[in-house]
Amino acid sequence: MAWISEDRRQALVRDGKPLLTDDMKKTLEEKYFPRYPTKRAVLLPALHLVQHEYNWIPPQAIEEIAQFLEIAPAEALDTASFYEEYWLKPKGKYLLQVCRSLTCEICGSEKLREHLQSRLNIDVGETTPDKRFTLVELECLGACGSAPVMLVNEVLYENIASTDQLDQILDRLPDDPHDFKDPNITWEQDGSHSG
Amino acid sequence: MWEWIVWGGMGFSKAVTERASKARTGYIKEVMALTEPVLTKRIPLDPDQRKLIRYDEYVATGGYQALKKALEMSPDEIIKTVTDSGLRGRGGAGFSAGQKWSFIPKEKKGPHYLCVNADESEPGTFKDRYVMNHDPHMLLEGIAITSLATQCDVAYIFIRGEYHYSAKVLEFAIREAYEHGIFGPNGILGSGKKLECYVHRGAGAYICGEETGLLEALEGKRGWPRNKPPFPAIAGAFARPTVINNVETLMNVPHIIERGPAWFKSMGTPSSPGPKLFGMSGHVNKPGVYEDELGITLDYAINTLAGGMKGGAYKACICGGISMGVLGTNQLDIRLDFDDVRFRGGCLGLGTAGMIVMNEHTDMVKALRNCVRFYSHESCGQCTPCREGSHWMRKILDRIVAGEGKASDLNMLMELEKTMGIMPGTTICGLADGTSWATRTFISKFYDEFARVCPEEPQRRVSLKVASGRMNVLTPMGSNTR
Ligand SMILES: Cc1cc2nc3c(=O)[nH]c(=O)nc-3n(C[C@H](O)[C@H](O)[C@H](O)COP(=O)(O)O)c2cc1C
Ligand code: SF4
Ligand code: FES
Repeated sequence: MAWISEDRRQALVRDGKPLLTDDMKKTLEEKYFPRYPTKRAVLLPALHLVQHEYNWIPPQAIEEIAQFLEIAPAEALDTASFYEEYWLKPKGKYLLQVCRSLTCEICGSEKLREHLQSRLNIDVGETTPDKRFTLVELECLGACGSAPVMLVNEVLYENIASTDQLDQILDRLPDDPHDFKDPNITWEQDGSHSG
Repeated sequence: MWEWIVWGGMGFSKAVTERASKARTGYIKEVMALTEPVLTKRIPLDPDQRKLIRYDEYVATGGYQALKKALEMSPDEIIKTVTDSGLRGRGGAGFSAGQKWSFIPKEKKGPHYLCVNADESEPGTFKDRYVMNHDPHMLLEGIAITSLATQCDVAYIFIRGEYHYSAKVLEFAIREAYEHGIFGPNGILGSGKKLECYVHRGAGAYICGEETGLLEALEGKRGWPRNKPPFPAIAGAFARPTVINNVETLMNVPHIIERGPAWFKSMGTPSSPGPKLFGMSGHVNKPGVYEDELGITLDYAINTLAGGMKGGAYKACICGGISMGVLGTNQLDIRLDFDDVRFRGGCLGLGTAGMIVMNEHTDMVKALRNCVRFYSHESCGQCTPCREGSHWMRKILDRIVAGEGKASDLNMLMELEKTMGIMPGTTICGLADGTSWATRTFISKFYDEFARVCPEEPQRRVSLKVASGRMNVLTPMGSNTR
């Protein structure tokens, strides 16, 4: 996790317009700066914010965040590359995250992974050519009581008993991932992204 | 101080060990069963009826009464009550919560922080998520009382990145709490003792569950555990005195304040009092989170709470997250408290009480491979024995699983296991001890199974090729899963 080395070839492509928009800066300033005594502590929320917006964290955004938080770009990259959840290269619209830890393994997660691999025709860590799905394996998702489990973007699917059920889950995903909401959130919500 | 927390919180003080050995010879109740639920009292047993308990309902069922009581007590009184209750940390360490709070300097020279450890990533553990998702205000009440006791100004709930739903629940509950004056500018319930409470999301790194790794992640750095001393109680988050407690530990606090230490001690064993959430998973009929007294037997947990074995007879059980090691086939009589699992069970401790139950058809070699793969993946890379050792162990186990094991592999595993961790004194944090205890207990308790696949004479030429597809991509320092 700590030693992601393959991204070095990722060229820094500068886009004319800033990726860290004024709106995002305002959110960070108003919501997150008062929370912490240092600016650097806002780094994790800022990276989450950028990833939520663009689905990954482009190198240009890292530079901009670093500048905004008054730290060196290398420090921002250091932190961003340490954490597995931050994607420093583009990923598919839907991130299929299958748990591979002990409970899930003894309850049959390998079967699920193999089914996904053959259905999507990709290996773990790869993205389908149409950029719709990326398949990864994660360690324990904290839902061992309902193993095997899979996290699709932000929604957890539990007790996946059969590959048919898995097919159903994939078939029902909406075209636009922004329409994909957690059905368990029934209580009032103002829609703001939790940071 | 070094003696007590040698293990970054996962250790046991000399005093605790002494007390425990006395307790073992003392009186322990024959039958343990909780008379009424405590932490799960608002969560129905029927999964269909479970829902989020909101502020109004929480207050209508007696919530925030303990906070009112705590406001009339002095910080020292709160700490004394919690120390007297014998509440021990539920995050894996089992360290006395009251004692930990008493290390925070009494004289305030600047802000104090409270960090709630909701990073629950230990395989087999899912108790914190369960209670946070349904009854978040109980946690917030615990946070408020703890902050009164330790004079904290800001509480950060550090939640793992994958818990999207729980993070939203907590944000929602915190908003409700602000609206009703629990937190915010007027102080806790208008008392003038100000407390702010925020959710801080991690980003997928098990090591941020280690308390100083958590602090680094909070400060916006990579989650590298810190060398101790200084301890967080003196210089923690932003170099200020900091309390770090697990979610379940803090949820016990309102009940202790409300009903007193004597009531708390009426549950559990003398050295491990109180109720505990047991996460039962794996080959059982009714997996899930169950609340019962500390000190129930493993047999009771499997057969009564979790509805018995599924698919075959009992073989082994991980007793508290994989870092604690495994309980063997003949250990069903072990009492699940902080000491019996350790002294009679031969494991590291009760840990988080996340139990992974395995039936007779489970391949223990593959199970250990899975555990070691977890550690080699999650090692933060700071200490050589942990970073390199866990990778060697994974390669060796991959080889054994692929049918190319030999006796020297087994010896090498056992040699490696002895040299890594805080206990032999070669690493910064307790992750490496998790690796070694998992390996140690699996091999010693299921030696025959390992010996069978590691024959004395090599059967064929050993190839160093790594078996499974994803293992093929190995960088020199660690693994890359993308
Ligand atoms: C590698 C490692 C991982 C840990 N992960 C967690 C965790 O996910 N959740 C947790 O509450 N404690 C975890 N701990 C224990 C914490 O370091 C710390 O002891 C605990 O949060 C203290 O809280 P408590 O006294 O209430 O148990 C971990 C420890 C180590 C060494
Ligand atoms: S023991 Fe392992 S996880 Fe812990 S600090 Fe050292 S390298 Fe990192
Ligand atoms: S092992 Fe898969 S969720 Fe815990």
